[in-house]
Amino acid sequence: MATVVTETRRGAAIPACLFAWLLPGAGHLYLKRTVKGLVFLGAIGTLFALGVAMDARLQMSLGLDDILASLFSLAQMAIGAPYFAARAMGFEAGQVTSVTHEYGNTFTAVGGLLNILVILDAYDTAVGRKP
Amino acid sequence: MASHLVVLLIFSALVSGVFAMLLRDDTGSRLRFAAMAFGAFVLSAVVVGWIMHPFPS
Repeated sequence: MATVVTETRRGAAIPACLFAWLLPGAGHLYLKRTVKGLVFLGAIGTLFALGVAMDARLQMSLGLDDILASLFSLAQMAIGAPYFAARAMGFEAGQVTSVTHEYGNTFTAVGGLLNILVILDAYDTAVGRKP
Repeated sequence: MASHLVVLLIFSALVSGVFAMLLRDDTGSRLRFAAMAFGAFVLSAVVVGWIMHPFPS
């Protein structure tokens, strides 16, 4: 019986991680951890939305010519669909002359980095390591 | 959103809340952890800002 439960949970781990990446908190909502999921969705979603409102740069920069810019882009992309939606809506370039530009960059990157921790938490929850 | 202090308070509150949900399992300890982390964020930013004040920009 324990083996069946473990296998069922392992089966839920991949979709939970995928949902968690696509939308902050969605992995926990999928795993029926409603309060956690809503807090993650609210907090990380607000971080990202405020970052975009503060003129963050969302340009994709992947490659080895500028490692820091690539890491920054990866951090922002970790927030999933909101990043690509904001780019599609025209918030890609940001506004470097804005007084809050660097704050916006920090908010969006930290939101993505926190979402990586949330994805790992969803995995741990799915396989039974966390309640 | 021109006030740097307001930005600091919002950032600290949101990040503290996420860390509390990730690192603690019951409501009471989550609230305590979030309050402690929020205080640590704000206090450390103010202290570091105060230490950096004599340096030119």
